[in-house]
Parts: sequence; C-alpha cells; structure tokens
Amino acid sequence: MSRLSALRPLHAEWTKLRTLHSSWWLLAATAVLTLAVGAASVSAVGTGACPSAADCHEDTVKLSLTGVWLGQATALVLGALSMGAEYGTGTIRTTLTAMPHRVALLVSKAAVLAAMTAAAGTAAILGSLYAGRLILPGNGFTPEAGYPLPSLADGPTLRAAFGSVLCLTLTALLGLGLAALLRDSTGAITTGLGLLYAVPLLAGLLGDPNWRDRLERWAPMPAGLAIQATRDLSRLPIGPWPGLGVLAAYALGLLLVAGAAFRVRDA
Amino acid sequence: MTSSSTPPSLTPSTPPERTPSTPYRSQLHPGRDGFVRLLRAEWSKFWTVRSWLLVLVLAAAATVVISQLGASGSVNDSNGRVRIVSAPDGTRVDDTFRFVHRPLTGNGSVTVQVSGIEGREGRSPEPWAKAGVMVKSSTKPGSSYVALMVTPDHGVRMQWDFTHDEQGSSSGARWLRLTRSGQELTGYESPDGREWTKIATVRPADLPKAARAGLFVATPPHTTLRRSFGGTSATAGIATATADFDHVELRGSAADPSWTSTDVGAPDPDDPDLPASGPARPIPGSTKVTGAGAFTVTGQGDIAPDQTAGDTVQMSFQGVWVGVLFMVALGALFITAEYKRGMIRTTFTASPRREQVLAAKVLVIGGVTFAAGLVAAAVAFPLAQDTLRSNGFKPPAFPDLSLLEGAAPRAVVGSALLLSLVAVLALAVGALLRSSAGAITAVVVLVILPQILAFALPLPAAEWLLRLTPAAAFAIQQGVTHYPQVDHNCLPESGCYPMTPWNGLAVLGAYVAVALALAVWRLRRRDA
Repeated sequence: MSRLSALRPLHAEWTKLRTLHSSWWLLAATAVLTLAVGAASVSAVGTGACPSAADCHEDTVKLSLTGVWLGQATALVLGALSMGAEYGTGTIRTTLTAMPHRVALLVSKAAVLAAMTAAAGTAAILGSLYAGRLILPGNGFTPEAGYPLPSLADGPTLRAAFGSVLCLTLTALLGLGLAALLRDSTGAITTGLGLLYAVPLLAGLLGDPNWRDRLERWAPMPAGLAIQATRDLSRLPIGPWPGLGVLAAYALGLLLVAGAAFRVRDA
Repeated sequence: MTSSSTPPSLTPSTPPERTPSTPYRSQLHPGRDGFVRLLRAEWSKFWTVRSWLLVLVLAAAATVVISQLGASGSVNDSNGRVRIVSAPDGTRVDDTFRFVHRPLTGNGSVTVQVSGIEGREGRSPEPWAKAGVMVKSSTKPGSSYVALMVTPDHGVRMQWDFTHDEQGSSSGARWLRLTRSGQELTGYESPDGREWTKIATVRPADLPKAARAGLFVATPPHTTLRRSFGGTSATAGIATATADFDHVELRGSAADPSWTSTDVGAPDPDDPDLPASGPARPIPGSTKVTGAGAFTVTGQGDIAPDQTAGDTVQMSFQGVWVGVLFMVALGALFITAEYKRGMIRTTFTASPRREQVLAAKVLVIGGVTFAAGLVAAAVAFPLAQDTLRSNGFKPPAFPDLSLLEGAAPRAVVGSALLLSLVAVLALAVGALLRSSAGAITAVVVLVILPQILAFALPLPAAEWLLRLTPAAAFAIQQGVTHYPQVDHNCLPESGCYPMTPWNGLAVLGAYVAVALALAVWRLRRRDA
C-alpha cells in the first residue's frame, strides 16, 4: 500500500474519466451548449414589445443563463456514464477487485466528476454572462433603462453565477447517483431526463396555480434554477438558496441511497 | 485451408449425400430471403426481451396516469359567471357590438361609405376594429349574420356566421355594399362609390325573410402582454372605436323606416355581478346623426369566435409528454442494444441488405409503439374528460366531448402517431450515433426542451421554437381551432401551438425522414 492510499482511488477515477473521449466531448458540449443557448436567448429578446424599456421587467442575468436548461442534460449524461459505463462493459468488477472499499470508490468518483463539471460549468457561466454583456445593450437593455450589465461584482449576479455552476455539478451527481442505483446508464439517463424535464413541463401546462407552485417548489430543475433569479424574488415559488437546496437534496440523497445499495449489492 | 468448392481427396469415405461434385450444404432448410422474414425476425427480437415489453406497458400506464393527474390539477372556477354565446354551428363566440339597424324584408341592399375609424380618445384604433354594414337575422347575440367591414390593419373583410372570413382588397376601398337576394348575400367594395368589385357571395346558416340591416361598429379590447422569466400577464384595457359613416343608403321593403340603435350582447347594466368600473364594465355605445345619411357611431366588443376558453381536448393528454420518454428509450435501445452487444454483426450477416433491416426495425418499433400509444390515449381521454368535468369544465361553456366526435379522434390517433414517430426518430438517431446515451439525450432534448423554453422565452422566440423543433407535433392534440381573423395571443403555457394540428405533426415527420435518410447513408458506408 502506498502512503497516499486515500488519493489512490481519486487518481484512478481521474485517469478513467480523463482518458475517455466521451468525457471531454460531454464537458465541451456542456460548456458550448450552455453558452450557445444563453447567447441565443439573449439575442432573441428585445425591449421592442414593451411600452418602454423599463417596463419589460426582464431579469437579464437569468436570461443570460438560460443555457443551463440544456447544459444540465449533458451534465446528467456525463454523470450517468461515469458509473453506468462501468456496468455496461463489466469494468466495475475489475474496479471493485482493485478497490474493494466501495464507499471510497463512489466518493472519489463523485469528487472527480464534480470537479470536472464545475470547471466546465464555470467556463460556460462566465462565457454566458460575458455574451450577455456584449449583446444586451444592443437590444435595449441598457444601464440607463435600469438594466445594469451583468457583473460578478453585483451580489445577486454572483449568487446566480455561482449557483448555476452548482446546479450543473449537482445534476451530474444526480446522474451518477441514478446510474449507481440502477446499474445501467440508459435507465439512469431516461429517468434523469424525465425528472429534469418532464416535471417542469407538466407544471407549466397545469391550469391550477397551486399545483404549479407545488411542482415548481419540489421538482429538482425548477427549484434548483430559482438560484438564477435576480429580480422579483418575492414572486418566486421558492427562494434561491432553498431552491438549490432541493436540488442538492435530490442529488446527495440519491447518492446516499445509491452508496448504501452499492455496499450491500453485487456488482 | 481448402475451399469447400474444391472436392477433398478423401472421396470414397464421404457419405452418399455429400457427393464429390457438390459443395457442402447445411442440413438446415435455407431461410427464405424476404422482407416478411426480416419483419418476423425483428418482431421476435422485440417481444422476447421482457424488459422492453415492460417499458412499453409502463409507457402506456404512465401516459394514462399522468394525463389523469394533469386533468385533476386543472380547475375551472369561472363557469357559470361567464355568459356563453353560441354561433348557429355551436362554436363559442363573442357577439357584442353597436348596431344601428332597420328591418329589411326580403331582397334589398345596404350601402355606406366608411370615412374613418378612430380609437378611444383619439388613440389609434385596434388592428381588428370593425366598422361596416351588416345583415343579421335578429339582434339576439349569436344569431346568423353577414357583415362587410373596413378594418384599420386588415383591409376590407367579408365575414359571416363568426367563423368565416373572406378578404377583400387591402387598399383604400372605403365604400361597402351588401345585397340580399333570396338566401344569398353578395358583398361589393369600391374606392369611389361608382365602380364596384364583388368580394363574395355567401349563404348564411339561418337568415329569415324579415332580417335586420344596418351599420355596426365593434373593437376587441386592447390587450397588453407582459412576459418575462417567471410569469406572463395579459391585461385587457378598455377600447372603443368610433366610425364616421356617410352616404348611408338602404334599399328594400322596410316596414319601419326609422333607425334603431342597439348594443348587441351588452350585459344588463343593473347586473349585480358587473363591476362598477374598470375594463370589465362595458361602455355603452353611441349613435349621432350628423347629416342626411351620415352617422358617427361608437361601439365596443367583438364579433368573432371566442378564443380565450381553455382547450379541454389538449388538457386531456398531458401524460403523453411522459410517454414520450419511454418511447424514446425503447426506440433507441432497439438498435443501440445490438451495437453494444455486437449482435448487429450477426444481424447484418444474416441479412446483408442493411436498409431492409432498418426498414423492418422501423416498422416493428413504429407499429408496437403506435398500438400502445393508441390504447393509452384512448383510455386516457375519457378518464381525463370525466375528471375535467368534475373540476368545472362542463357544459355549456365546455361541451361534453366524446371519443369519436369532433377533434377528439384526431387528438387520440395523433397522440399515438406522435409517440410512434418519436420512437422511430430515436431509432434513427440511435442508428446514427450507435450509443443509447447519445440517442436518448439528443431526442429528449429535441422534443421536450423547446416546450419548456417556450414557457419562458418571449412570444416571438417561443413561437419559432414551436414551429421549427419536433415539439411542434404536439399541436395535433389541440381541440380548439385558431382563426386567423381573431387577434389571439397564442401562449404555450395555455397549450396553444402556432401551427395547425397536421402541419405540426408533419414537422416531426420531416425530422424522422431526415434522420432515417442519414441513418441509411451511415449504415451503408460504415462498418457495423
């Protein structure tokens, strides 16, 4: 045993994730898609439809970060594949032979995954905010009209940016937890996408505002994305940090359950 | 080492059926090389995998259960307080306007010059404000009519029985003439009152011999839509329209030659439910005679199908969104599982014509998912209708819908088609990407995410999203017809899609066709 025994599983997981093409592709896709959708949304919105620019009441920071809706999908896939692929190919048995401490294995997997997603997410979020800074004034959202340029010096904007990175990271962990629990990447991805997208969709279509609020408060994606709001916070069904807490509870809760199951089950 | 066609040297010891002159043949019966066989092979592949059957059953069950939940989450509490006006064909309509009329018995004509339309307090009029001439069977709201009108932004229009609309010229024609001959009415327009151009001859549903003819003014309310992340609000502001009429001339036998003014469809001003002020309180119209055959008329309201009611057909199919997820997984796995296990090489060795294999797969997965989707939608619809009825969506505002009438069969069959097309799309993308993770994510994101973003993005961006992405296909579930002659904010969150039902489904069809073409191209070119 080496002296750095605690770091060995981390190093092994880092090597595994680093040497797969698909990881880099998915990380790049997360960053690029988040940035692209954010920039497209910002350029699609102008003040033209409102009586005056100030009457638009647009949350420009949240608008710039729209891409997280799509970036979460690739982050989820990355998380699910980091575990599911091992089950798909049978590598998991080799892994467990080499590294019998299962909880340490899952924790190091989660740590490496979280670090990589957070890095890609940070790039994506900073890029999106920068794209917002470039595009917003041209569409009428000028500081004079009451829309200061998105800047990390502003408290709520910093919270939205940091929270969005956390959102992406937690979604990747959600994928990891699902895959560890289901031992299958396809099932994990389908379940995860359903949890992320189908629930807010139904919430949007429901006629009853009570039900809508309930779903938006307790479904992982809408609750987690409450962290992006910088205006009209009182109108949100759930506050920014409690909302992110809901997403974190889903992701970490699933990881806990998956960890427990991982310990007692066959690979 | 030796090829089987060259006879080996140990000829004498071979059994009689392996004569030296013929190559080795398997004792098994050769399979008939046909498409039906391929179909059978693919069908066996599908039904022998127990988990796929389970997913199919789950898909149907989830569609029904979520539709039911969706319906029970939709509550209508305005029933009873809203007055319902129905057109002769049963459509729910608005029929309120200022009518300056005289009786007209039998044949005759009414001619007028509309010299100007103005909005409230000198503001510009609404795009669909209407001023012109009308022959209506009575002043009862919802009764049959034919109207010829000038609109500020949409030119001259001939409309009848609420749902019909014929465009005249959009140029500056200001003279209108409506003539009645038996049951037929003909509209003419003219820029100067001398040269007349015919617009159309129409036959309204129910016009008695003794009808009312005259001038009318109407304008829909001024709506402002505020839409930002986190909420949409539509506010209706008061609008009135004032039109100047000149050279009014009514020909035909009339018992009473004096003009009467009526605010058709206006609520009783003493109604206790009516608010004391605000946009919901109607402003009474006015009529001023400004000279011989010249009138200034002010009115409000609209003569058009009512597009604000909820769509109870669309509300009954919310579970299909969840069904889509399962179908995507099934479709993608039907081919990617073969790639993952290397089974695809066996498949292609057994039937080397790869596009035929793909076609058989498409037929099997398309057929299976269509059948499951049809059962699910046909079960979900009546159940959801029951729930919606008990939640306040009941007649007369929301008529009872049966499974085999009106828009319901289209929505049921359309939902099943949608589910099966989505499965085929996933199959094609799976053949293209050869990975279940990639195929499932790509298709789910393509189909579901646009709809979610459409809730949040501004209306023009949202409309384009719902026209260009496969999410457009959900238009097939719509039960309400949207008429171009009614200004209507098509809000995605109220289940409105910018495309007509079949066109929307065709968008998904186009995606499937392109994905299949790419899949065939890739199957032919690439190794398996």
